[in-house]
Amino acid sequence: MKNYFQDLLPRIVLAPSFFVILVFVYGFIIYTGYLSLTDSRMLPSYEYMGFDNYSKLFGLRHWKIAVNNLAIFGILYIVICTVIGLLLAIFLDQKIRGEGFLRPIFLYPMALSFIVTGTAWKWFLDPGIGLEHIMHQWGWESFEFRWIKDRTFAIYTVVIAAVWQSSGFVMAMFLAGLRGIDGEIMKAAQIDGASGFKIYRRIIIPMLRPAFLSAFVILAHLSIKAYDLVIALTNGGPGRATEVPATFMYSYTFSRNQMGVGATSAIIMLIMIFSIIIPYLYSELKSENQS
Amino acid sequence: MASLTINDLHKSFGSVEVLKGINLHIEDGGFLVLVGPSGCGKSTLLNTIAGLEEITSGEIQIGDSSVQGLHPSKRNIAMVFQSYALYPNMTVSQNIGFGMEMKGIEKTAREELIKKVAETLQITELLDRKPGQLSGGQRQRVAMGRAIVREPQVFLFDEPLSNLDAKLRIDMRTEIKRLHQRLGSTIIYVTHDQIEAMTLATKIAVLKDGCIQQFDTPYEIYNNPNNMFVANFMGAPAMNLIEGNISKSDNNYEFQMRNSKGDVVSLPIHGVNGLKDYEEKTVICGIRPESINDLDLVSKSQSVVREVLIDVVEPAGSDTFAVVELGQKQIIARLNGNSQVSAGDTVKLTFDLSQAVFFDRQSEERIR
Amino acid sequence: MNSQIKLSRILIYFVLILFAFYYLLPLYVMLVNSLKPLDEIRGGGMLYLPSVWTLDPWRSAWSSAQIGVDPSGLKPYFWNSIAMVVPAVLLSTIFGSLNGYVLTKWQFKGHGIVFGLLLLSCFIPFQIVLIPMAKLLGVFGLAGTTSGLVLVHLVYGIGFTTLFFRNYYAAFPTEIVKAAQIDGAGFFRIFWRVLLPSSGPIIVVSVIWQFTNIWNDFLFGASFADFDSTPITVALNNLVNSSTGVKEYNVHFAGAILAALPTLVVYVVSGRYFVRGLMAGAVKG
Repeated sequence: MKNYFQDLLPRIVLAPSFFVILVFVYGFIIYTGYLSLTDSRMLPSYEYMGFDNYSKLFGLRHWKIAVNNLAIFGILYIVICTVIGLLLAIFLDQKIRGEGFLRPIFLYPMALSFIVTGTAWKWFLDPGIGLEHIMHQWGWESFEFRWIKDRTFAIYTVVIAAVWQSSGFVMAMFLAGLRGIDGEIMKAAQIDGASGFKIYRRIIIPMLRPAFLSAFVILAHLSIKAYDLVIALTNGGPGRATEVPATFMYSYTFSRNQMGVGATSAIIMLIMIFSIIIPYLYSELKSENQS
Repeated sequence: MASLTINDLHKSFGSVEVLKGINLHIEDGGFLVLVGPSGCGKSTLLNTIAGLEEITSGEIQIGDSSVQGLHPSKRNIAMVFQSYALYPNMTVSQNIGFGMEMKGIEKTAREELIKKVAETLQITELLDRKPGQLSGGQRQRVAMGRAIVREPQVFLFDEPLSNLDAKLRIDMRTEIKRLHQRLGSTIIYVTHDQIEAMTLATKIAVLKDGCIQQFDTPYEIYNNPNNMFVANFMGAPAMNLIEGNISKSDNNYEFQMRNSKGDVVSLPIHGVNGLKDYEEKTVICGIRPESINDLDLVSKSQSVVREVLIDVVEPAGSDTFAVVELGQKQIIARLNGNSQVSAGDTVKLTFDLSQAVFFDRQSEERIR
Repeated sequence: MNSQIKLSRILIYFVLILFAFYYLLPLYVMLVNSLKPLDEIRGGGMLYLPSVWTLDPWRSAWSSAQIGVDPSGLKPYFWNSIAMVVPAVLLSTIFGSLNGYVLTKWQFKGHGIVFGLLLLSCFIPFQIVLIPMAKLLGVFGLAGTTSGLVLVHLVYGIGFTTLFFRNYYAAFPTEIVKAAQIDGAGFFRIFWRVLLPSSGPIIVVSVIWQFTNIWNDFLFGASFADFDSTPITVALNNLVNSSTGVKEYNVHFAGAILAALPTLVVYVVSGRYFVRGLMAGAVKG
């Protein structure tokens, strides 16, 4: 009898978490998915509408702007963070004095809320009191930096702030990867006559492939979720110029009383994330099982 | 191929001196083994020869030219590492050819040489695989291929067999020896395994704490150790080291110990003149297990028979090792494989003293 | 040869220090401008040290700034955040550790699927659960309460904490459990006496990660909280973005730093373990 109970105990312990996840994550996903197929407005209704919401969504100008912004923001964010992160990691790995001092400086933005980041950068990028004003004060009268108020360029300010927040983290990932490389490989490459630059390009960077992959996955997923930063920095503006799917979903669901459309946008966001994450997790778990 | 000469080499890391005046010479085609315990500086010494570490002072000559200060790739050396250090994202073929690529040798010439080396090492069918798909022994051969293809003046090996399991290690050891015989290359080889040192080397340098304890042929190192460290380090099982007194009887010296009953056990010594300074003093006597045998072995001129108590018997197939008590010390004797002794027996064993060596108790130096 | 090396070293240091400035600049700007009186800010000179040093913006941000309808400063919201974060961190860590223990040492059929689902839940966009969660909280009467927020953060934090502990415990050999079973210990005792005592590092990681994420959260706070439970991040945003009348930048900056202070302090004190553990636990492979 005791044995039976002991056998069951692990499952009992795990059960609450599993149950909770099942309901609050997957159950909710299904619920929202269902809502996306209804004509919900301010409150959920259960009138089935098929995929009407989806076609409606893809026709909305606001949605197209949001997706476009996500593409611009996402690609720039991922590429710039990766480049900066890799560069800083390689530099820091060169037996720099004061590494213990520099590394926390590069990493601390990660500890901040996106709201704080948005607040800090918002004023720095503001033409009235920020960078443009400083340049004017220093004598450079013709300097212009009004991106944050510019419909076309505002999205790039989001990139600047987001890169500031996350590039330190990417650097830490690459640094860990670099440190994991066997020192003897460097020695062998030196004897083979490879210069510093060639060693990195031909040998070390290819060996960092796992780190690149992890960085990509994390940054991609963060960029799709980006909500707090946009709200704090530009609040979606000017107008709708920095709208992203995350802000779109919120405003359509709660302010514009178009819950069906909002739910639809959320499902699209989910599909985007899952199409990156699921293959990644699957291959990671599979290789873990093999080794 | 070329010779290697090292003159008064010093190397410090900051304020810590790791190599304290190394002097070595190995002739063209020789096989020099640097052996010693962990931390003795042997790997550091190898790295300085390779040019991977700078030296603080001294001179390194490969052939007729001084190379200290030259970049590793310009010293005409090749190195095989403990962890093989193969480039994981390149094929075997690319690994072997990488050095040539860096030198600018064009593709067809490279492929020729790679093919030749692969045939020599019997790894031709592995050329398109990546290191991750190879076994330990295969990787080791690829590492050697990468070294051979450079056609260097000196080959450097940094504990290349430490990562292999016991059987593979013996196989690869033979391969390396075969390679040496076939290519006639000058080899500098670092290991902590003294059996590897004995079987492979033409010359051995025993290092401890950054100093060379002895630099000699394997035979001399084994039979004529300079000090207690060398005597103890080389040989497995280790040389027995026993403390006792020197006393003079008639015209001969005797080495005397007390056994557990309080009686004096003495061994007569001949031909060690240095002992005249040690009359009535305590010295350490070194006698190898193979010098202590069963009674039925042919007795030699300097053999004596003594009675000992057997403590532990370890049959090892071809030999039997017995831990016996002599004086108040436990020592190891090497008996016949089919010896019938058991623990607790008191037996007579012969002691061949022609190979016995003596050391000063304080300085641990050899008394000759 | 040597001068070329020297030049590249100088370049490396230069680039690193340049980036250090890039990272420190916003913090410096916020700090410096939070100590100036308002007219000094309006005069420009964002980068200059205050000519008049004052702590008034801080006092205002803490206790008297206008946030929404009430001139209450950030103080009540700070405590709201604390009330929300502490239970959520504790509970999610406890559950995570037990889950990790079960998933590595007491594997049953289908445990891979359970772990996979838990792991996947770390990556969902929270927008997908907003609507049903709002409904559910309303049904249970938890809408707008701190307990409701604790529940939300607990639920969406369990995936991460389980991941951390699972990866950590995976490194402990299963023989430990078998040996303890032979010694007569049962499920909980093994956890309590064998695994938990050696779990220091990963507990630190889990606590820091959860604390940082939950404290910094905005979306859930904005969606599910009432005045009694609004966390400081939402309050900060209200403070900064309520564009009625004069923008008191110095107060905004003081408020931002106040909101960031707890996570910054946690980071400074234990950042090393945070990063180290994160590399080992969270992003394995």
